[in-house]
Formats: sequence, C-alpha cells, structure tokens
Amino acid sequence: MTLTVLIVDDEPPARDRLRSMLLEAQGFEIAGEAENGRRALELCDSLQPDIVLLDVRMPGIDGLEVARHLATLPEPPAVIFITAFDEYALQAFESEAIAYLLKPFRAEKLHAALAKAGRLTRPQLQQVASASRESTRRSHIGVRGRDGLKLIPVDEVLCFVADQKYTTVRHQGGEDLIDDSLKTLEEELGASFVRIHRNALVNTRYLERIARDATGQHFVHLRGLTAPLEVSRRMAGDLKDRFRI
Amino acid sequence: MNPAAREAATRDPAHRDPALRDANPPHQLYLPDFCRPRAVLAIVLICELTALVLALARNEAVLGFWPDLGRTSMFLLWIGLFGAGMLCALRGYLNRLSLPKGSAIVLGLTATLVMLISTVAWQFGNRAGLLGGSDLVPQDHWTFLLRNVVIALVVTALALRYFYVTHEWRHNVELQAKARVHALQARIRPHFLFNSMNTIAALTRSNPARAEEAVQDLADLFRANLSEKRNQIPLSDEIDVARTYQRMEQLRLGERLRIEWKIDSLPRNALVPGLTLQPLLENAIYHGVEPRPEGGVVTVVGEFNKGMITIVVRNPLPAANVTMREGNRLALANIKERMDLMYDDRATVKSGRFDDEYIVTLRFPFQPIDGARGA
Repeated sequence: MTLTVLIVDDEPPARDRLRSMLLEAQGFEIAGEAENGRRALELCDSLQPDIVLLDVRMPGIDGLEVARHLATLPEPPAVIFITAFDEYALQAFESEAIAYLLKPFRAEKLHAALAKAGRLTRPQLQQVASASRESTRRSHIGVRGRDGLKLIPVDEVLCFVADQKYTTVRHQGGEDLIDDSLKTLEEELGASFVRIHRNALVNTRYLERIARDATGQHFVHLRGLTAPLEVSRRMAGDLKDRFRI
Repeated sequence: MNPAAREAATRDPAHRDPALRDANPPHQLYLPDFCRPRAVLAIVLICELTALVLALARNEAVLGFWPDLGRTSMFLLWIGLFGAGMLCALRGYLNRLSLPKGSAIVLGLTATLVMLISTVAWQFGNRAGLLGGSDLVPQDHWTFLLRNVVIALVVTALALRYFYVTHEWRHNVELQAKARVHALQARIRPHFLFNSMNTIAALTRSNPARAEEAVQDLADLFRANLSEKRNQIPLSDEIDVARTYQRMEQLRLGERLRIEWKIDSLPRNALVPGLTLQPLLENAIYHGVEPRPEGGVVTVVGEFNKGMITIVVRNPLPAANVTMREGNRLALANIKERMDLMYDDRATVKSGRFDDEYIVTLRFPFQPIDGARGA
C-alpha cells in the first residue's frame, strides 16, 4: 500500500529537497505541496493525505497551528514536524508529534520518520491529535462546513455566544457554529477577550460602549453588531474594574 | 538560549576572552581629549566651581562677592584654558604613561603653568597699581605663588581622579557591550545557520554551482562575524556583509524577499562599528518579511549631509494577529551601545512603528577610515 504525503514548507529550496528525497523513498507518494499554513489546510481537506511533513516556522498560520486544526479532523493525518532550530517547539513535539526532523536532516532520518508514521494505527493517531488540540493559541478559528474548512481570523471575531449545545461565533463575515466551549476559548484566547456573561465572550477590540438601562442592567455595544449584549450582574463589576469606569 | 550560550553570557567577559582584557590595560593614565569641546567645557566648569568655592571662602570685604568671583574666575580660566591647550598637545604622549608617572607629570606641568600665570598676573597687577594700599593681592609674590600652586595641585589631583574613575566606568561598559555582542551572535546564529545549511543541501542536488556560491557566502559571513577586528571597519565592508547576508536569505525566501538599496550617496570609507547594518537587515527580514505570507520589501536608504550619515531601514509589519517575534530590542540596544562607544553622544539610533511600517534610523558623524582616531 502506498501512503500519500503532503509537503508543507514556505521555503522553495526546502520543498525541493523534501520532494527529491521522497522520490527516492519506497512506498510513499507525494500528494501535493503547500507553501503556507492556509494552503496546507486546504490541501489536507481536498487531498486527504496520510502523512503531512510540516515546517513549524511559517508565515501566517504556522506549523503548530496547522497541526492543531488538523487534529480536529475525524481522521487526522500523521504529522511530522520539521524545524531548523526551535527550542520551545521541541518540547511541544515530544508530546504531540509522531516524529520531528531537524533541518538539514539525513535521508535515513526522513525514511525512519515516514516508516514510523506509516505504522501508526488510527487510535494512536487520534491520541496524538488530542494532545495537540489543547496546546497552542490559535490565530484562526476553524469552522467545518459542507464546503470544507473555513478559517476565521481571531481578530475578526466580535464575540462567541453559547447556547445549550453549540457555540456561535459572530464575526465580520457573518456567524458560524463551532464545537469549542466558551471556557476553553476564554482560557486559550486570554487577554484580548472578556467574559461578560455565562453565555458570552466578547472581543475587546470591538467594544464600543457599556450602557445601563433604567433597571440597572448593563449592556455592551459592539462595533458591527446591532443588538447589544447583556452583561451579567456578576461580570459587570469585573468589566468596570478592567476599563476603570 | 542553549546552556553553553547562557553560561558564556553570564561569565565575566574578561575571563572568557583574554583579548578583551589586554585591549586596554586598566592601570594607565587616562585623559579625555582636550582638543574636543566637551572636555574643554569640563575644564571651564572645574575652574568656575573652584572660583566659586574660593570666593565664598574668602568673604572679600573690600571688593564684595561678585567682583571677587569675576576676578578669580578670570584668573582661573586663564590657567584652565592654557592647561587644556597644553594637555591637548601632549595627550598622545601622556596617555602612554603608567598611572603614577603620568599623574606626576600632569601635576608637575600644572604647577609650572600656575607659577607662570601667577607671576604674570602678579606683575601685571603690580604695574597697574592694583596692589597699592588694598589687599587685593595681599601677600608678597612668593606667598601668592605658593598658595596658588597648592590649590591648583589639589584641584588637578581631584580632576585626574575623576577622569580616571569615569574612564574605568566607560571601560567596563565597553566590556559589557562586547560581551553582549558575543552573546547576541551566539543567540541569532543557530536558526540562520541551520536554515542555510538546509538550503545548501537542497541546492547540492538541484544546482551545484549555486550551492558552491552559497557555501562561499556563508563562509564569508562567518569570517566577518568571528573577526577580532570588527570594532571599526569601513562602511563598504559592512555593506558587503549585508549584501552577502541578503544573497543567503534570497535563496531561502525567493521572491518573497525584496530589498531596495538607495545608498549611492554614502561615503564608503566612513568608519562604522562592525555588525551594524547586517543585524538591522536581519531584523527587518525576520520580523517583517518572513512572517508575511506574501513577503515584503525592505528598503535601505542612506543620506550624507553636513558631515552626518543617516541610514534608514524600513520593513513592513506582519498582520496584526500575528504575535511579534522576540529579540528585536536586544539587537537595537546593542547597536546603540556600540555606536555610543564609537561616537560618544553624536550618534543616534531611533526605531519605532509608523503606520504599517517599522523604521530604524541610524545617524552618526562621518569619520573617514584613514583619519580615524585610535579610541
């Protein structure tokens, strides 16, 4: 059985080298090549590769974030990280990656990593993926729809609103449903977002004003959102402290 | 930082690098350059402060405080300015002497100078009849000379001590700056080195001729970095290093990296500290071009006007949602330190973001490499 491999690296010579090394490897076939994280996610969606050779340091969506989005796939590919020199990232690889390669790597190391990736069973892959889902702070929120993966830049998100089952992300391009809970989003996105209610997390960069009606109830107005959002009594104090009002 | 680099950075630089320790032996006389306005200003201040102390202490009854201060100031400024002229002329010789010998000679010269000027002043006052009756210059000639010489020796000794301590302090700052350069090199290199090696490994298969060039460029860059004579080099050398660096990055980043050089007006023989332009380019690429999927244009603009050289490096900024990479401040602070050491306060390094660009401006006086002072 031939396994398909996607090459992801922003540097043309690095892709050239990987391509020529892969052509010499037995039992592997190049599915495609991506020059950045966004393209990598698109190609993973359309080509469904078995293995992704993923450069960590890339412009825009970097390798760690790509891996994180890939980990949400029902059948995640095996990710092999590639890096020149990243001490911090190395720690992450230990737990999340099947293997990692340090540039410039030898052909034998690449073959060994590919072989290891090829041996993994689906439960093993899902286990590795679940570790990687928890780690990095994303710069984009991934939404899985009928027409594939949609990436919403975190900066364009106005707010997250939760109901019983789903979380709705309201952003400049409309709104979508995601699986993440408000709690995990708040922990991950941290400082630029503020919780105003049990069911709402808003982006402070779109905060326009905080109003109060006759009954003493606080509301938050967000730029780009017509309806104001209710602030819970408990959160109103925090919000006032934070913006010194 | 890897453990070895951390260890190297924390260790005392003087112990790490014997060349640094011997470069400027500490127990040597140090005099500032009295041919320069700054040092002359220091002398004027010392004279005026001494005059103030003397006038306050004397509590002159006949003349009153202000005329007494004015007269004393004039007398002391004659001594001070003549002294500055003398030290300006003899500086090269004096600075080679050991601390005790040099100090003794400076004190001897000062005493002689004070005796000469005091004699002239005494004679002048005598001739003009200023002495008669009043006690403006109350004592006989020899008492007047003796008092002046002792005061001058005390003040000069204090000034020498001050210059020595200040110099020691600057010397320490310099050592620290050097240590930081080493630490900086150890910090930035690995990422660049391994990426370049990978590029070369790729080219060895696809384009051996370019691989050969790349190896030569990499060797040149490292030679420039490891050189011990990197403190003062001609601007042309620094530009060459920056261009070599650009070639290496160009291989790796391809069309995403564009650099516009507008530096034709710069004098190539200007003296600069090594590793000034190249780290700025490295920063611009690392922070401004690499994180942008579409790449970007870095511009390097040089101007030469009224004896001052200005070099401006601009790079675009990545989209706002990309977190700034770290390590920028360190390189800039380091360049600023080394510029200060070479040009005192005449060099400036400014940086900041303007709209969607990051701009670094270096400004320093033009010093041709041949007429360079040995600092």
